[in-house]
Amino acid sequence: MAFISIENVGKTYNETELDSAVQVLVGISVEIEEGEFIALMGPSGSGKSTLLTTIGAMNRPSTGKILVDGIDVYGLSDERRADFRMEYLGFVFQQHHLMPYLTALENAMLPLATSRVPTREKRERAMVVLESVSLGNKASRLPNQLSGGEQGRLAIARALVNEPPLLLADEPTGTLDSKTGSEIMEVFIDLNRKGQTIFMVTHNQENAALADRVLQIRDGSLVGCCAPPETGRRLSAQTNHELQTVYMGRQRAVSEPAVGLDPA
Amino acid sequence: MRISTLAFANLNRRKGKAMFLTVGIAIGVGTIVALLSLSNSIQEEIGAQLDRFGANIVIVPQSNSLALDYGGVSVPGVTFDEHELSNEDIEKIRQIPYHKRLSVIAPKVLSAAEVEGQQVLLAGVDFKNELKLRQWWRIRGRNPETEGDVLVGYEVARALSIIQPTEQSPQKGAQMGEHHSAEEQSQFKVVKGNLQIAGQPHSVAGVIGATGGPEDRMIFGELLHVQKLVNKVGQLNVIEVSALCKGCPVEEIVGQIRNKVPHAKVSAVQQAVKARTEMVARLTRFSAAVAVVVLIIGALMIFTTMMGSVVERTKEIGVLRAIGFRRTHIIKGLILEVATISAAGGFFGWASGLAASWIVLPYFSETGAGRELNPTLLLAAMFGAMLIGTLSSIYPAVRAARLDPSEAVRYI
Repeated sequence: MAFISIENVGKTYNETELDSAVQVLVGISVEIEEGEFIALMGPSGSGKSTLLTTIGAMNRPSTGKILVDGIDVYGLSDERRADFRMEYLGFVFQQHHLMPYLTALENAMLPLATSRVPTREKRERAMVVLESVSLGNKASRLPNQLSGGEQGRLAIARALVNEPPLLLADEPTGTLDSKTGSEIMEVFIDLNRKGQTIFMVTHNQENAALADRVLQIRDGSLVGCCAPPETGRRLSAQTNHELQTVYMGRQRAVSEPAVGLDPA
Repeated sequence: MRISTLAFANLNRRKGKAMFLTVGIAIGVGTIVALLSLSNSIQEEIGAQLDRFGANIVIVPQSNSLALDYGGVSVPGVTFDEHELSNEDIEKIRQIPYHKRLSVIAPKVLSAAEVEGQQVLLAGVDFKNELKLRQWWRIRGRNPETEGDVLVGYEVARALSIIQPTEQSPQKGAQMGEHHSAEEQSQFKVVKGNLQIAGQPHSVAGVIGATGGPEDRMIFGELLHVQKLVNKVGQLNVIEVSALCKGCPVEEIVGQIRNKVPHAKVSAVQQAVKARTEMVARLTRFSAAVAVVVLIIGALMIFTTMMGSVVERTKEIGVLRAIGFRRTHIIKGLILEVATISAAGGFFGWASGLAASWIVLPYFSETGAGRELNPTLLLAAMFGAMLIGTLSSIYPAVRAARLDPSEAVRYI
């Protein structure tokens, strides 16, 4: 079974009002394996961001379903879906959307704020991811004291601090110059080499070419979809096994009622 | 990094707004604290004034005989010939548990006596206590000093020609009960210094200016002397008590006296008690009404500010929701911010309200009573402010938490 299974997903905004109903996604079906780097391309208004937020457990599809690691994402309650996002997903936004009043270290720690992990451990984990994106020496800086590329890397660090199985990126290089954009893409490639599954929306052909697979979307439908390459940055059997062990723990965290939390 | 870190960082980031909200809450709480402190002091003042003016407890012998109007108050069961109260009862009254609240105990023996050929009501009183009780008496002359000294009521003094009007106020009549203007009544001179009461000579120490009460038609002598004079040695007809009743219902003191003097009828003077209670109740109602208005304004201010804050932070909340914050986490963060501001506002409001009340207290109170640091009031101010702050921000917080993350990230 594929790590991500998108089955006949459709999305219509304002579906109860016939006059203003807008069909954005139409019968999208695609499967994504663990460790794949997927690039989603398409013109503006084609439904790229809608598909991204739908996979990101934030935008309930009108039809079809999305399974991630066997979990029916929209079968979960709203609060459980929040837990799912925390456990499974890392988001990198086009504008980075860092908290301007928090230091780089605090921004990286943000997804750990609701966790019961001791603060010291949170700090250590955040430092590790900051080091991994070469920002270890700038941990105490505020976002406005970082360059555009550094802000982008900080956004990636924040997305990775929870070690999510799936990284979602919405045009992560869209606002950056080509040099800075390349820095960010290098980080993505490096992460993917280590087994990180990445789903990236982009307009940039060069960036898309770095992905394992490129999905083309037009008017809400996938129109071009290359098959997964036979070779490339595929996971080793050992890495695959390690990830499976981690994911099983996450499945329990999302599926089982936690003490003091909404059991729904 | 915890949700609280995020909340405090947000407050620190929006210092101006946090300060504005804190000051707003502080003004509201300060107004209420000042009002409560002032109202409390004024209540104490009014209570003390009412307690000073006249008795609020009357003790008479148990009797079913006719009622007598005394001091503008209906005193049932007073008969001139009963001897059921005695001097010893005064000591018993002084032994009640609330004895410290007994401000004045004024015993009286009453009897009709022949004075210069006319029947007059003669009262034997303990002048020291009686004069404390009758602070409204205006005595022309001096206070009685020896046992032969008497104070004469205005009407009696006129009838017995003890006084004469001054030139500005010519005398128009000399019959007891005749009406005279207030101006006439205040302008007289004592022209006769001695009286024969029950066949014995007495000295007129002074004449009590007209009060409009029964004392106008009475003569007052020293208690022990009058008891002997009317053959009622050791006997009393009425004991009037002035009790300071702040914080204790007068009925409790009445009950304690009743236990000590079971053979007497002990009554609270309902008129005095009701007047006091009514006055205090009106003040309390006024304070409560102003407090409610201030609270509503404060709550609306917090509500509006928080709604604005939520709209302003839509993007931020969307990001938090996208990275996995639950709705409850968002609500917790926002409530924590408001609770922190409210607690600070409550504290500063308490301090400023107390300071304001202390500054203006001299204009409302002669004694300045109520100038005290009340820790309960501090706790109430902080807790109340936090409660109002929290309640006012529940809707904005819930609304923030209900933001659809996909809608929120459309702004992203």
